Order: sequence, then C-alpha cells, then structure tokens
Amino acid sequence: MTEHLKMDEVQPRLLDETTQGAIHRPMPRPEGPLKVSGRATYAAEWKMDNAANGVLVRAAIPKGHYKVDASSVEAMPGFLGVYTDRMPRNAAQGTMNTNPAQIGDEIQYLGQPIAVAVAETFEQARDIAAALKIDYDRDDDVAAGPDTAQQVNEKDDPFDQGDLDRAMADAAHSVDATYTTKGHNSAAMEPHAALAVWDGDKLTVRASLQMLGYNRNELADSLGIDAENLRLLSPYIGGGFGSKLGISPEAIAASVAAKELGRPVRVVMTRNNVFETVVRRTETRQRLRLALDADGKLTGIGQENWQSNLPEEPFAEPVDLATHFLYAGANRRYGQHIAIVNRSAAGSVRAPGEAVGMLALENAMDELAEAAGIDPIDLRVANIPETHPENGKPFSSRSLAECLRQGAEAFGWSARQAPGARREGEWLIGMGVASAARTNILQESKARVTLNPDGTALVETDMTDIGTGTYAILGQIAAEMLGLPPEKVTVELGDTDLPKASGSGGSWGAASAGSAVFLGAKGIRRRLAERLGCTPEDLRLQDGVATGGNNRRPLAELMDAPLSEIGHLETGAKSNDVHQAGYGAHFAEVAVNTVTGEVRVRRMLAAMAAGRILNEQTARSQVWGGQIWGIGTALTEGLDHDPRTGHIVNNDLAEYHVPVNLDVPDLDVIFVEERDDDANPIQAKGIGELGLSGAGAAITNAIYNACGVRVRDYPATPDRIFSHL
Amino acid sequence: MQITLSVNGESHALDIDPRTTLLDALRDHLDLTGSKKGCDHGQCGACTVHVNGRRINSCLALAVMHEGDEVTTIEGLGEPGNLSPLQAAFVRHDGFQCGYCTPGQIMSAKSMLEEFGNGWPSNVTDDLTAAPDFSDAEIKERMSGNLCRCSAYPGICRAIRDAAPDEGMHKTEAAE
Amino acid sequence: MYDFEFERPRSIADAVKALKTEEAIAFSGGQTLMPTMKQRLAMPSKVVSLTAIEEMRGVRQDGSGIWIGGATTHATVARETKDSYPALSSLAARIGDPAVRARGTIGGSVANNDPSACYPAGVLASRGVIVTDRREIPADDFFEGMFMTALEEGEIVTAVKVEVPETAHYAKFIQPASRFPLTAVFVAKYGDGVRVAVTGASESGVFRWTEAEDALSGDWSADAVDGLSAPDGSDMISDLHGTGDYRAHLVKVMTKRAVAAC
Repeated sequence: MTEHLKMDEVQPRLLDETTQGAIHRPMPRPEGPLKVSGRATYAAEWKMDNAANGVLVRAAIPKGHYKVDASSVEAMPGFLGVYTDRMPRNAAQGTMNTNPAQIGDEIQYLGQPIAVAVAETFEQARDIAAALKIDYDRDDDVAAGPDTAQQVNEKDDPFDQGDLDRAMADAAHSVDATYTTKGHNSAAMEPHAALAVWDGDKLTVRASLQMLGYNRNELADSLGIDAENLRLLSPYIGGGFGSKLGISPEAIAASVAAKELGRPVRVVMTRNNVFETVVRRTETRQRLRLALDADGKLTGIGQENWQSNLPEEPFAEPVDLATHFLYAGANRRYGQHIAIVNRSAAGSVRAPGEAVGMLALENAMDELAEAAGIDPIDLRVANIPETHPENGKPFSSRSLAECLRQGAEAFGWSARQAPGARREGEWLIGMGVASAARTNILQESKARVTLNPDGTALVETDMTDIGTGTYAILGQIAAEMLGLPPEKVTVELGDTDLPKASGSGGSWGAASAGSAVFLGAKGIRRRLAERLGCTPEDLRLQDGVATGGNNRRPLAELMDAPLSEIGHLETGAKSNDVHQAGYGAHFAEVAVNTVTGEVRVRRMLAAMAAGRILNEQTARSQVWGGQIWGIGTALTEGLDHDPRTGHIVNNDLAEYHVPVNLDVPDLDVIFVEERDDDANPIQAKGIGELGLSGAGAAITNAIYNACGVRVRDYPATPDRIFSHL
Repeated sequence: MQITLSVNGESHALDIDPRTTLLDALRDHLDLTGSKKGCDHGQCGACTVHVNGRRINSCLALAVMHEGDEVTTIEGLGEPGNLSPLQAAFVRHDGFQCGYCTPGQIMSAKSMLEEFGNGWPSNVTDDLTAAPDFSDAEIKERMSGNLCRCSAYPGICRAIRDAAPDEGMHKTEAAE
Repeated sequence: MYDFEFERPRSIADAVKALKTEEAIAFSGGQTLMPTMKQRLAMPSKVVSLTAIEEMRGVRQDGSGIWIGGATTHATVARETKDSYPALSSLAARIGDPAVRARGTIGGSVANNDPSACYPAGVLASRGVIVTDRREIPADDFFEGMFMTALEEGEIVTAVKVEVPETAHYAKFIQPASRFPLTAVFVAKYGDGVRVAVTGASESGVFRWTEAEDALSGDWSADAVDGLSAPDGSDMISDLHGTGDYRAHLVKVMTKRAVAAC
C-alpha cells in the first residue's frame, strides 16, 4: 500500500509528538564500522571474475577531429579492444535525465574522453591507452578562455526592477566593485568508477553516482536501450559534491566495452582524468553594486556575472541565486554572460551559485558597512526583507537575524576592533562575518518501509548516501515513527530496483527521501492504530510497544506478518507559494602575517537554521565540510588554465590545493532551533550546501579587518595579500 | 614475476606484472580493497599501509620491492564487531563522511601515535630535542598527508585524541 | 608505465652492472620516480632497486663530518643526526609527510634535484660532497640546474658527506595545503665563513645567495640581512602558487629567520 502526500498544506509536527528519542540526537553512522574497517565496497571494488580493465583515452588537442588507429596497439600484451562508440563529451548535468552530449569524432577541449582502451589487466590497459596512435585534424581557432571567446551568450534577468543606476547616483553610501573567482574541482576522494556487466539485454552497472533515478535514464538514453533493462548499484559513494550528479563517461564506456567483449568491464578514472574531464565550477567575474540610503536601508542591488562553458551545454552557474531574496532594496539588476570556450564542461560543484556568488555579495556588504560606518551585522539585520523583494511571496521559516545575533554572541563579536588594531608580533588579527543562505528544494521521492513482528524494520529506496548521513537519518526517522531503537532498523540504499527517491544533490536529499520514509512509516502507524483500536493520532509507539485507546500491546501481538508501506511524497503548492531557504551566519577569526602575507584561520563559527535537525552529529559534519570548503575557496583552491589551450594545468591534488588538516582550526557549529512547516512533513531543510554559502566571505572579511587588505580576487594566496600590505 | 607477499600475517604467493604497485597488488590480486586509490601519485594518503611498522603510500611502491616485508592494511586492524580503538573512535566522533579516505586516515593515525611515542618531531615542533606535545597542531600537522574532501578533520582529531590512550602511545622499535 | 624488468641487487658493484643495460634506471624510495613512470615521463627497460644494498644505508661520523648512505631514508637521517647535526635532522624530519619520509632517500633526492626539494639546500650549505660509485663530487659542482646534476649515465649516488658547521638552521616557508617549500633557506656558519643555500625559489634550482653569505660572514646577525636587497625576482619561479617577486622577498625573510633561529 502507499501513503501519499502532495505538499500543498502545512502538516502536523508528528516528529515532535513521538517519544522514541531516535531523532535529533547525535547518532553515529550505522555503516561506520564497515567504512572504518575497509569493508564498505565502492564501485571499482566489487569482486567480478573475468572483469577486463578499461582506461579512458583523452584528447591531446583542444579543438578539432580525431581518428583512432587501433592497429597501433593490437599486438600489445593483454589487448582486448579500443572503443569510441557513444563516448560522451562530458558527464550529464544534474537532473538532466537524458544523454549528455555525444559529439562523435569532434573534440572541443583538451582532456575530452575520446576512447576507452581495454585489456586484461589495469597495467596493460594503462600502457595501451598511452601508446594508442590517434590521428588529429587540429583546428587552431581555439577559445582558451573567456577573454578570447568569440561567442558570448547573454541572459537578461526577468527580475530586473526599478532603476539601479539612479539608486546608485542617489545613494548616501554605495559600493561598485568587481570580484573574480577561479574555477573549482569537486575533487571527491573516490575517482569516478564503473563496472558494467551484461546478461543478454540486461545491463547492471555498479558505479559511483549521486542520483540513480536520473542516472538510469541518462545511461539508457546514452546507450540507446530501454531503462527497464538497466540496473544501477551505488550503495557506497566516495564523495560527490556535484561531480557524480549525472552519468559520466566511465559508465558509458564500460557499458559499451562490456557489450562488445561479452564480459564485465571496469573503468576507473585517474586523478588527472577527474580534474580534466569531470565538471568544473566555472571561473566567475562579478560586478556588485549596492546602494544605501542615509537611514541605512538598501535601495539597490546589482549582481552581474561573467562565466564560461562548452557549446550547447545546458548549465549556468546561478551566481545570483541568493541575491534575489536575501536583502531588501527596490531597485535590482542582474545579468549573465556565458563565454563559449574550449574548456571542460562547467557544472554543479557543491552549492552551485552561492559558493561563489555569496563571496562577492557578502564582501560587498562588508565594504558597504565600512563605507557607511555601520556594524556589518546591524547592516544585514536592518535589510532583511519582509517578503520576497522581487515577487512578494511570503518566506517560510527564516532565522537569519537569530543566526547573526546568536552567532555574534557565541563568537565574541563585540571584541572586534578596527583594521590593523590587533597585533601579535608579525601577525595582525581580525574578525569577519557573512550571511549564509541556500534555497530549499523538495523533490518527489518514494521509499518502502517494512515493519517486522520481531521489532525490526527495513527501509528501502534508491536514495544514495554520498557521505551525507542518509543511512543514519533514514533509519532514525523510521525508528522514531515506529517506536524502535535505531539499531533495529536496516537501511538499504543505492539500487534502482528499490523505490525511486530524489537522489543526493541540491541539499534536497534528507528532506525529500526523509519525508518519503516518514510517510511510509506513517502508513504503518495507521494500520497499527486500526489493529489496536485507536485513532492514528492517539497511537504511541515506543521500544516495540504500541499504546492507544487504553490498550497497550507489544508489536508482536499486533502482527503475524511484516507490514509494508511505500511512502510517496510529491511537491505541491507550498513549493510555489512560499519562498523557502535555509539561513545562517558565518564568523571567522584570521591572523595575517605582515612579513609574508600568509593567512591562518584561527577559528570559525557557523550558526545555522535549517528547520528540524535530524541528526545533530551528521548535520554538524556537513557544516564542518562547508566551513572547510569555505577555507579552500577563500585561500587555496583555484583551477588554472593554459592560456593557449584552455587545458587545466593544476590537474592533480599536489597542485590543486584542497585544505589539509593543519589548515583547519577547530570549528564551532550552532544550530538555531527551527521547524519549517511549509517545507515538508518533517519540517527539515537541507544543510550540506548552506554550510558553504558565505563561509569564504567571512574569512576574507576577516582578512580586511586584520590588515586592511580587500580581497577581491580569489583565492587569497600569500603573494596576493603580500602585494597589498 | 613470482613473489611472496606477507600481508596481515598471511603469506601470499603471487604471479605479478613488475609494474604492479603494492596498492594494486592488494586491491586487485588479494581482494584487500580497504586500501583506497585516491590519486595513485602519493598526493592524498588514501592508500596508506604499514610496511614493517612504518606508514607508507602503497601507490608509490612496487609490489616486487616488498618481498620479505610485513605489510599491514586496514583489514588487519579490526573488523565490524571487533574494531580497534582507533576504528571505534572514528565511528564515535564521525571522523569521516563518505569513508573513502578513512582507511588511510586510520592507518596514518596509528603510525602517528607510535611516532609520537618515539619522540619524532614534525613541521610544527619547535624544540627538536624535547618530546613533542600531543597538541592539536602536532596532530593536525602529522595527519596533513591524508586528505579528506568531506572535510571531517575536526572529527578525525577528536577521534585520535580519544583513542590515543587505548592505542598505547608508547615508544616502539620498528625496523627501517 | 612501460613494462620493465626488475632487479634488486645486494651490492653497489652488482647495481652498477645492472645499470649498464640500455634505458635502465636506479630506483631508490620511488617517491618521485613512481609518479614519473606512471605519467610515462620515464620509460625504463629495467628498474634497479637500490633498497637492498646494505653498504648504501646508515649514518656515521666521518672525521669532522657525517657520512650518509645514499639509500638512507629521511626518517633515519632525522633520527640519526639529531645530536650530531640538529639542523640537518630538522630538515629531514620535515620533508613531505611521514609516509614520504619512511620511503624517500637522500640519494634519490639529490640525484633528482627537484627545484623545490629540501635536501639540495642542506647539502649545498653544509659543504657537501656527493659520493658516487666512481668519484666524489663537491655539491658546488653537483647541482647544475633544475632537475640537472653532474651525474653520468648509470652513475649511482652511494653516499652524501656533509661538514658539520658551528651553527645552522633551515627555515622553510611551507605552501599551505601542499606542504611543499614555497621557498626555504639553509644557513650554515663555519669558522671561516657562512653559507646560505636557497631552494624552491630559483628557475635554476638550488643556489647560494652569495650577497647574504658575504654580509653574514662579516656580521653574523639577522640585522645584517636587513641591509641587503632581495635577489632579482625575474630569475625566480613564478607560478600559480606565488610570483617571482614574492619568492625573492621570501628568500630574504627566510634567511633572516634562519639566522635569528641559530
């Protein structure tokens, strides 16, 4: 049976009535023992007798056409085949649901996958891939970057309103500044991998993917097969951060080669491959304009951005996503310019939009506060709009002011001094703040919940856990609703044979899949209430015992067979009628070395409001992740492109610098208590990307407060700081 | 080439391509996939194993070079139901998210505690002649060869600190 | 990586013989060579491992100096020179990370002469001598430029000898995140003069900053460095991690810090 809900109305806060105590509290991940003992099996690690090994061959030129000469390697040891059929130019974009671009013998960027070399062993395949002779017909008319692009796609924003030029001219205080950010790579620790096995017309692929429901359609479409014949398995995923949202070349290549060879084929990307082929976050240039009147009220906001992507690639970094709703101001202007370039595809990297858009907006707000002589927190609080400033919609729960104030109190914001005032030897110390905001999205989801007479339960869905804590929170929701200790609940994920959920991305997984589990368990509660002879509202379930209507019975007496329900959540009017977002505030204290320009982050605090917090421990880990990505964004991370070819030159973990342990101080996280009744039946919102939104800006604002240097070009490497000291 | 590898106290005879790294020998030939391949170039630490009691990046070693050595992998430390103190502490403190770098982090942490016990200095040790402080900065520096993109570093540090007494942070003599 | 033969000789003589094969390479800790081979930047027909050669391992007093076997790991050097040459011990103890220090060797490091490696600075400043299977080469003549040395085809670094100075210090500005020295300076004060060797900065690899040596030989103080102008930034490495001018600035800062710490 199915318990269905279309989210048109506010739902009762059932999870505040239940008494099991399985939810909210910190709970270690149930799959943890497998992960810490090396027994969790990631995509490339499934034991498969007779599996051949494939290595992707990639274009060595940025533009042109190619032809592979397989005869050049046929005699090499272990050779099985070289295949170019159906090779995609790049991965599908998130939620695309169709095949990614497959452009035949054309090359549009250096590093583009063009063939897969397959051999008996990995070592042989690697050697064959390197030795393969490729005839290139090179086109020298290369757009290596935005500066040399001949085509720029312009987009005017329908939300432009008023007259920003006029507002700027009339402003008591204003900021008009341009910021730049370099590109970013997700750099998930597990390189993309796929293992494809055919059985007649049926294809099974074990891969590292975030959104199996979409990925199944994308892969089937890429191969020209019926999705019904395709099963995907991704029970463990070594990080995603957007890079595994869409079906990717290794899965298509493995499937094609496995079909041709009639045996299983494994294809694993090298780290260089991940950097050069997997979607990058575009570099951006952003012009920010802010106008403030004499009363400290914003009268205008403008954010215009320049970015790049491949031809016909259906993605643009939504740089101004949060700017549309975060602050008031009657005159608003946006603009987007996408240069068409010969660089790898740009796509979603954790918090697409806010990750870089909030750097510029929150830096500009800091500059405005300085110009107007207003405390940065007061400026922000004073300009929180009553309703959506562009469409007038009401907001759902929104604790931005509370986050700023509670965070300030906990961080010791009142001790902040003027730039240059706090010195310890060679070091200048400063504090910075930034707002956080991330649009909240709900997606259709299904999950099957089964309660057994022995007091155990099973949750089944094709939802994924990319490190986000899905195994933990889905089990906790079911345990809370069914009145069981969480260890009695087993969670099965990452298999397209199971009911289809939202997948992991856009920070919508916990709330969407969590609501489906909630609904499935709610259906079971309804049936238990009938059997006990009470109303569902009167039913109380705790520790395997049902109470209601003066009856009290152990579960085993109420059931002689398992009870199974599918929870089915659909988005409804609430997604349109109410503007939903998570909010927060980031605080940072940094030390800047006046002799070397080195920046050290001394401490950070994040105050986050994201509706109901389902598991305080895994939620905190998500926020830690966001804060640390903020450190990387602000100080160390940036893709560099060869100016002649567009090729990513820092294509490994030695040259592309993700933060290491010593770069990270201990981090504080505060959760501001909230329920979002408009969001979904469990009143929770996403938090994985919220933790990154604004985090880097708090650091660069702290750099200004320390030493008076405004960082407008990211990342703020020591030489960039030093040259302004 | 015919070689014999001793892993987690068990001896394995292998017929192996001389190009095979120790990491690939473990993963592809011995089905010990707990050691992870994150970069294959010694940049991420996910492949950390112990050779004769010292941590190394197994992706930067050829399997054929380790005939006669004693190799320990994450599978040799403990298993679900019987986790080592460090493994259990990583679960307790959420010292991981996706779990892919985790075996390398734990192997590194175990060696690190031993290196502390032996008084080895690090990049942040000021006085090389004194025993290093078991400070956060020392722990973080010594764990900086192991990248975690989920960024579980705060949990990793707490787990290491918590498990240190049970892991026996004491002086040992390991062979070079 | 190409297919190759593998040999693990037990003596220097056998290693030299094994290396006579066309396209054979000596392989020590492998911390640099393994990635190079995987990227097909080195394509040997034969790999000759030096790790089983007992006579190339260890650290011992050698008159007034120290003899270090070419196949001695950084971890061992760090431990064994702690009392006899603390500055060198400190250098070795801070190379890369512990996993690298457990495998990487001094012979491999000087033979590779990476422009950002630590050892070339320590060896050059310590009046080092590179001992090979056929001769002894003063460090001043050995390091010839970025990744270039005086080594001939098939020649093995069997040991490195250094003179212990009155006082010395290695000051390293580590790149956040990667832990590589963006620029590092080894200062060694001998009775008859001062040596200042710089790594990580110059397009020509490790070099001696002679202006600083002259100034410090006359006036051994951190203040003496203040009076110098930084080396010319146009000769310095300029890349995504730092400009040439910034590295030139760091040369001076690190020299001063090294002297102050002595």
